[in-house]
Amino acid sequence: MRVFRLQVNGDTVEVAAPEHWTLLEVLRYKIGLTGSKQGCDKGDCGACTVLLDGVPTLACLSLAATVETSAITTIEGLLPAHRANGGEGADPVQDAFDRCGALQCGFCQPGMILSAKALLAKNPNPTSQEIKQSLSGNLCRCTGYTQIYEAVVLAAKGEQV
Amino acid sequence: MAARDQHGSEAPGDQGFRVVGKENRKVDGLAKATGEAIYTDDIMLPGMLHAKMLRSPHAHARVLSVDTSKAEALEGVVGVLVGAELPIRYGVIPWTPDENALATDKVRFIGDEVAAVAAVDEDTALEALDLIEVEYEILEAILDPQKALVTPEPAIHEGRKRRDNISKHVDLEFGDVDAQLEGADIVLEEDYSFHSTTHAPMEPHCAVAQPNSNGRLTLWSSTQITHYVHRALSRVLELDPARIRVIQPCLGGGFGGKSDPFSLEFVVAKLALKTGRPVKMLWTREEVFYAHRGRHPMQMHYRTTAKKDGTITSVDAKLLIDGGSYSSFGLVTTYYSGQLLTGPYNFPNYRFDSTRVFTNKPPNGPKRGHGSVQPRFAFEVQLDEIANRLGIDPIEIRRRNFIGADTETVNGQRISSNGFMQCLDEVEDASDWKARHGKLPHGRGLGVAGSMYISGTNYPVYPNKMPQAGVQLKIDRSGLVTVFTGGNDIGQGSNSMVAYLVAEELGLLPTSIHVVSADTDLCPVDLGAYSSRVTFMVGNAAIDGARKLRKQIIEAVAKHWEVEARDVRLMDGTVIDLSEAARSMTHVEAFHLAEELFDTLGSTGAYNTPELGGDYRGGTIGASPAYSFTAHAAEVEVDTETGRITVLKVWAAHDCGRALNPIIVRGQIEGSTYMGAAEVVLENHDLNRFGLHSGPSLLDYRIPTSLDAPDLEARIVESIDPEGPYGAKEAGEGPLHSTIPAIANAVFDAVGIRLRHLPFTPAKVLKALRELEEQN
Amino acid sequence: MLRLPKFEVKNPSTVEEAIAMMHAIDGEARFLAGGTDLNPNMKHRLFTPERVVALGGIEEMFGITQQEDGSMRIGAMATLANVASHAELGLAYPALSQAALLVSGPQLRNMGTLGGNVMLDTRCQWYNQTYFWRSALGFCMKKDGTKCHVIEGGSKCVAAASNDTAPALMTLGAELEFANATGRTRMPIADLWQADGIWNKKVAHTELLVAIHLPKPSADQRGAYGKLRDRGSIDFPLFGIAIRLDLDAQGTIFDAALCAVALQARPWPLKKAAALLCGTKPGEESFTEAVEQVAALAAKQCRPMPNIPGDHEYRHAMVSVYTKRALLAAANGDGPVHHV
Repeated sequence: MRVFRLQVNGDTVEVAAPEHWTLLEVLRYKIGLTGSKQGCDKGDCGACTVLLDGVPTLACLSLAATVETSAITTIEGLLPAHRANGGEGADPVQDAFDRCGALQCGFCQPGMILSAKALLAKNPNPTSQEIKQSLSGNLCRCTGYTQIYEAVVLAAKGEQV
Repeated sequence: MAARDQHGSEAPGDQGFRVVGKENRKVDGLAKATGEAIYTDDIMLPGMLHAKMLRSPHAHARVLSVDTSKAEALEGVVGVLVGAELPIRYGVIPWTPDENALATDKVRFIGDEVAAVAAVDEDTALEALDLIEVEYEILEAILDPQKALVTPEPAIHEGRKRRDNISKHVDLEFGDVDAQLEGADIVLEEDYSFHSTTHAPMEPHCAVAQPNSNGRLTLWSSTQITHYVHRALSRVLELDPARIRVIQPCLGGGFGGKSDPFSLEFVVAKLALKTGRPVKMLWTREEVFYAHRGRHPMQMHYRTTAKKDGTITSVDAKLLIDGGSYSSFGLVTTYYSGQLLTGPYNFPNYRFDSTRVFTNKPPNGPKRGHGSVQPRFAFEVQLDEIANRLGIDPIEIRRRNFIGADTETVNGQRISSNGFMQCLDEVEDASDWKARHGKLPHGRGLGVAGSMYISGTNYPVYPNKMPQAGVQLKIDRSGLVTVFTGGNDIGQGSNSMVAYLVAEELGLLPTSIHVVSADTDLCPVDLGAYSSRVTFMVGNAAIDGARKLRKQIIEAVAKHWEVEARDVRLMDGTVIDLSEAARSMTHVEAFHLAEELFDTLGSTGAYNTPELGGDYRGGTIGASPAYSFTAHAAEVEVDTETGRITVLKVWAAHDCGRALNPIIVRGQIEGSTYMGAAEVVLENHDLNRFGLHSGPSLLDYRIPTSLDAPDLEARIVESIDPEGPYGAKEAGEGPLHSTIPAIANAVFDAVGIRLRHLPFTPAKVLKALRELEEQN
Repeated sequence: MLRLPKFEVKNPSTVEEAIAMMHAIDGEARFLAGGTDLNPNMKHRLFTPERVVALGGIEEMFGITQQEDGSMRIGAMATLANVASHAELGLAYPALSQAALLVSGPQLRNMGTLGGNVMLDTRCQWYNQTYFWRSALGFCMKKDGTKCHVIEGGSKCVAAASNDTAPALMTLGAELEFANATGRTRMPIADLWQADGIWNKKVAHTELLVAIHLPKPSADQRGAYGKLRDRGSIDFPLFGIAIRLDLDAQGTIFDAALCAVALQARPWPLKKAAALLCGTKPGEESFTEAVEQVAALAAKQCRPMPNIPGDHEYRHAMVSVYTKRALLAAANGDGPVHHV
């Protein structure tokens, strides 16, 4: 067991977990942030994507013991951050995914949305090729991706209902 | 009484549709987008144990002994389970129960379950697995279905009436097929094959069981079939079903891969009962590949006869179906492989002879487009070749053979609405077919194909006369309507569909509807999310239940206002008086009036199919109250140096009856099409020479990334169905079928090679190109 | 979930501390850079160290800096995304930049490091699998067993070097800076490899790759990387080829290097083939002819084996196609050669 001091969604969280645990396990099974999903066990699907200092990173391949100095953003962090910035409703990217039907089973979406979020932070007007490239580490089995692209484009336009 | 009465396909009031047909949000969209939605593995219970499965490293072996004593002695191990403790067999089809949760006598594929351990954490459970000693007597493994067909010994399943490795054989003839040979203008006879592919939903299977102190048991499971799991648990655990509650939490995709009862469900339940503690088992991705139930590989032989003008006169099919190690849905698969091909084209004479065999491989089952995707591929490629030989445009030959609406197929299936011709028109137009087919530069091509699929069938897997789908509605004084449905929302959006229909009937906004689903304690039975049955059946049940309440509400308001019922309009959460008085109230006030008049408000709704199907053995299998129709046009580019096929774009026109929410329908069409395209050029559930899955991971089983998926354009065709909920039919599986042959036919247009054996690997393409070169 | 084995994690902040931590344990310890190779491999029980020495806190190992002599120093912990998006690197060393861009998918490139990619374990379809999977075959000689399933009866492990950046660094004549218990050493990357799939490097796993040094490019140096894989993202190479061309002021090639990967244990330099390019001039027939000859010779020199997934005969057929396309891309200042 080791006590990890993690910065998660703006909170500093101290949590004891076995030393060999991944960030994904600590987030899900110790802190209770189950929004980050586990789809493939070993870095092949992107469902566990979180942002480390704003950069899309796979929580299933990150040891909790190596991320104590990074600011971790999970899917649960977006809406509160949006509200803290004076926004209403959900985060614009989350909202766009809902409006565009980009969420079917929803299992890949926390990771997908965080990848999209990181893309838009860096590049507010991505081309369709840039969107495809940026999301190419997040497998979706439901949509065929089209409605996901539409959601990213809609979020980029900043439209919200 | 099960409602077989017609609700009509029109809007309930005079104001037209207010919810249906609109681009509404899903009821659970934001919950999923924000990470709030709870999936099975997100459930954590106090004192919960974690279980792991010991699996067979042998493809075929007799289990002589299992010694768990060392595992039991390991600190942190709380419960160990072996097959003898769960001796009762199960299977999703009640006629073929051939599975044990853990091996009792034999293991039948590499990965078959042998024993399980529950411990304080997964690491300890894993450690304990290593301490279990199993003695096997290794048997010859049968991996080749051709060999299975002719090799009765060793029988993979012993003690059956049949002493061989044949799982199911169906041989049906309609009309006189052989008589058409003489005088046929063209006879085309070819072999085709479809390889093994799997569902690969993003969520791995997971189950959590909790023993309750009052002697009841709760199981949360990532299942598409809560009701069947409920029945199977009761049978295997020998526990009164009234003491078992099965809940499907949010589900991370299924596609048919979670529509069998699975060993982990029995194992966690039994371990929970044994230890008195909650138990969870989460399968690794590798274990999901072993659980499989994916698309059956088929070796197919088709012979079609036709007249000069392209009119089909007969179709003769012989299919060998690789079932893998267990029956699963195999009985149905075997029928579907023939029964579902008899539209959208008229087959005056048809015969199919399908044999499903057992092999020592992960069991095959129902993957999106169960049993009919493979024959559809073969036939549509054959039809394309006939068109080519006869010099007929591939779209035109499909039009000429159109079976029509309000008719019956040669095998006795009732066809009601049929928008296939419009589907063809749509893809012809969208792809600029006339200007481009046959005219694109070498290496680029366009192809077309068509298909049909069921919207559920009238064959419940266990025979009974009760409704196939039921809902219950509860109206709260707050104005909230809660709908309880046994239907399984697996991501396809069925809970949203229910909310839209109830909102439409009651004149509410969908946000006033709360849907509680797939909980056997709370919800009336629905048979589950398979065979594309949910929209049609649960949808009709929802309308049925809501319409009863609608009547009560209108009656109460009319009485209050002292107007005629027809003057009361329910719309968007407001109740309007259409008489001269011109006044209104909120729906909440209306609910209160109705509750005053009728007491506590609630209703039930149900759906059952009419009598359908041919009057012969198996004639009801594949008989659907409505069929969906699809046409696909695909554009490909073939790199003649590398052999790589790039599917540039696929246009998919799908007749779903009325589109209850076009965004969701589009998502189903696009998702199906993408999945089909991937089966052609990327995916292969390949077993190596040892019978071991050659790459059971999402690295080696190549599902498309965003850079691999073709551009998709969905066109919705609405042939309003007379019996569908507001005229709706299915959209979740049909639009996969013709993707595959459309791509195959596009490859022919691009480079002149006829590929008949999936998958179309670059190596296969290069070989065919070389052979073509040699011929010329 | 697929479990990691139990280990302790050390977080050194200097190279020297890291080396000390590596040695101050009786059992096995492993360096952890981005974790994208070691973590899956540990989940597969290919490595079961008692200690993991995580390198993320060692400042010296980060950064991409141009040296006074015009050479470039890339800290081993620079991520593949850093390398792929670094403007000067892209201009000076296009093959490396392109190779880094084609490693796996975006998140893996954000995590995976150049040092980690150089030190990547060799790969094989019979090896990169779970313990259970491998146990069903009685294991293989690379781990836990004695047999080879690639070449039945084979006595040498033929697991394949699968690191996209290695051939690029080979063509560029990179030097590797290692730290070990006795101090620092520098070696040409060409000297790193040995023909043994079990461990294809001449340094021990206890030695730490600190930085990669790239010599100053010639005035008109061009390059490209070609990668064959099934999908547009995520997949390891089924074949990879890196090219470097040095052109004089007249546009004639005076030096060239080719190196292939995803064949056998080592990245595979194609020296004879490269020699055919010298004296030819892109844009003229001499070069076009040489490209054909080089492609044909490459196909003779590169013999893919059924070690990694995919049809090895097809991979062989692609050697000449990808070599040719990569050569043309290098000459034209294009690339990478990739199907999407």
